[in-house]
Amino acid sequence: MRTRRGVAVAAAETRFLSLPFPPIPRGPPILPRGAANWRQELRVIYQCFVWCGTPETRKSKAKSCICHVCGTHLNRLHSCLSCVFFGCFTEKHIHEHAETKQHNLAVDLYYGGIYCFMCKDYVYDRDIEQIAKEEQGEALKLQASTSTEVSHQQYSVPGLGEKYPTWETTKPELELLGHNPRRRRIASSFTIGLRGLINLGNTCFMNCIVQALTHTPILRDFFLSDRHRCEMPSPELCLVCEMSSLFRELYSGNPSPHVPYKLLHLVWIHARHLAGYRQQDAHEFLIAALDVLHRHCKGDDAGKAASNPNHCNCIIDQIFTGGLQSDVTCQACHGVSTTIDPCWDISLDLPGSCTSFWPMSPGRESSVNGESHIPGITTLTDCLRRFTRPEHLGSSAKIKCGSCQSYQESTKQLTMNKLPVVACFHFKRFEHSAKQRRKITTYISFPLELDMTPFMASSKESRMNGQLQLPTNSGNDENKYSLFAVVNHQGTLESGHYTSFIRHHKDQWFKCDDAVITKASIKDVLDSEGYLLFYHKQVLEHESEKVKEVNTQAY
Amino acid sequence: MVVSKMNKDAQMRAAINQKLIETGERERLKELLRAKLIECGWKDQLKAHCKEVIKEKGLEHVTVDDLVAEITPKGRALVPDSVKKELLQRIRTFLAQHASL
Repeated sequence: MRTRRGVAVAAAETRFLSLPFPPIPRGPPILPRGAANWRQELRVIYQCFVWCGTPETRKSKAKSCICHVCGTHLNRLHSCLSCVFFGCFTEKHIHEHAETKQHNLAVDLYYGGIYCFMCKDYVYDRDIEQIAKEEQGEALKLQASTSTEVSHQQYSVPGLGEKYPTWETTKPELELLGHNPRRRRIASSFTIGLRGLINLGNTCFMNCIVQALTHTPILRDFFLSDRHRCEMPSPELCLVCEMSSLFRELYSGNPSPHVPYKLLHLVWIHARHLAGYRQQDAHEFLIAALDVLHRHCKGDDAGKAASNPNHCNCIIDQIFTGGLQSDVTCQACHGVSTTIDPCWDISLDLPGSCTSFWPMSPGRESSVNGESHIPGITTLTDCLRRFTRPEHLGSSAKIKCGSCQSYQESTKQLTMNKLPVVACFHFKRFEHSAKQRRKITTYISFPLELDMTPFMASSKESRMNGQLQLPTNSGNDENKYSLFAVVNHQGTLESGHYTSFIRHHKDQWFKCDDAVITKASIKDVLDSEGYLLFYHKQVLEHESEKVKEVNTQAY
Repeated sequence: MVVSKMNKDAQMRAAINQKLIETGERERLKELLRAKLIECGWKDQLKAHCKEVIKEKGLEHVTVDDLVAEITPKGRALVPDSVKKELLQRIRTFLAQHASL
């Protein structure tokens, strides 16, 4: 193939004269099929001078594509289609050539468009457009296959080297449009996106998580714009494909409850420990589901590939993965050893659990994050503060210090190094200790909007002796989150029921109780006990830059 | 004959351009630029402007040249500084790697 192209390159440079392009009249362009091989000659021109896919063609383009009059490679360079002449458009050098030689057609070397000097405009022929599209596609594929650079936003490119083509309606699509001529505008009263889920036997734990995930704005956008390209050896076992299908079902506008039997089946196959008809933990299901989705995004059927979350670019990691920083400070030399681990959620100990101790009395700090802070009531912020406070590891848990070369007492502190787009907080309400098995039903107040700034690694320095420096009025929106889903558990450890609240159309909340969906007030949501809380970042940063490039208001 | 018409600057630019094309870097930069200009809304802004020009001049009479003349200055002015910076940085890195130029 390459040798043929090599020969063709030489041919293109010397033998243009067989192209029989006479002027095309205005109106639907028709190309005379004079020379038998005009198609092939045109392809050669595209390959050599417009869309170069191989090193040889690139070399020839670099060398020869300059204006024969002024030598520029810019200024909308065109190639004459009747002879070997390159002229720039802006300085009218190609126009002079066309006039002098009566060669009335030229091709734009940047975009591949055909210009007619008699019509004084670009002209379009269906066959030529088809050839152009094919050659451009070929060149892109060649370019992508030899490129060693991983495209920085992999998920936005459908397939390697494929571009988003313009939508040209196919016959079935035209029919579909004919049958559905009415445009649907989403008004705030619309219930599209709200759909109950039938309980298949203690599967409320699964239904709640499905409701939360299908109402995660950025995940919804991903699936509803068909971004998933299945790479699983057997697509019928792909959980991501099923997720895609679930989104389609829930956003179809169909009001009757959906029966998620296929999802349950896939869960049984891929997360054996959650199989069976017993009630399971919704949090466990969330983590298992995210794990399977993450693996299936990369076509990993058996879970064998030890995927490195730091380099994974799948949609799950892009949305849910945050970086939890752990700093261990040696009390002898004050050297700090830092590790950053990926995390999909933050599990918080609650007051009253036998593993925790709560040193400070609530009510010390005034209301942070707008939480209703009644003395005696703990807030989410309190829990996060406790989670990120420096902890003395005690004399029975000495850590080997690298610089001291001996075991020393140390303090450990957890903070957020990298914030995920969607932050999930889990209250550890279920106690399975040796002493007892019980549910902690303490009410924890949580806010509608949450600022994660005080809990970040970068804010660590401003915290002295465990005293929290609160942002008074940080104009910095980068770390602000909005609540969009809450999963609640009613009942006891042995028998209970899960329900969820989800946010719809910015300010409406709905309670999802398996197949029944009812309108709820913000007060209902904020007064609920809370087991899993889902927060969505308000501002999304451009991945490759620290500076905000894209400013998307999710809410 | 052609080369003597170009000054040193233009010669340098031509040499850099050749290197960019040969290595395929030019295509990669083009794709990067295309993605960035779509992301920051530049493409949409200019598309809207094109539509206005077409409405003004009438669909049957407007030519590609008309559009190019109308939107080129606006297009150039609207490119965000951050995009220019990043592209320049990429080119600088490229030149550093091909120091023989």
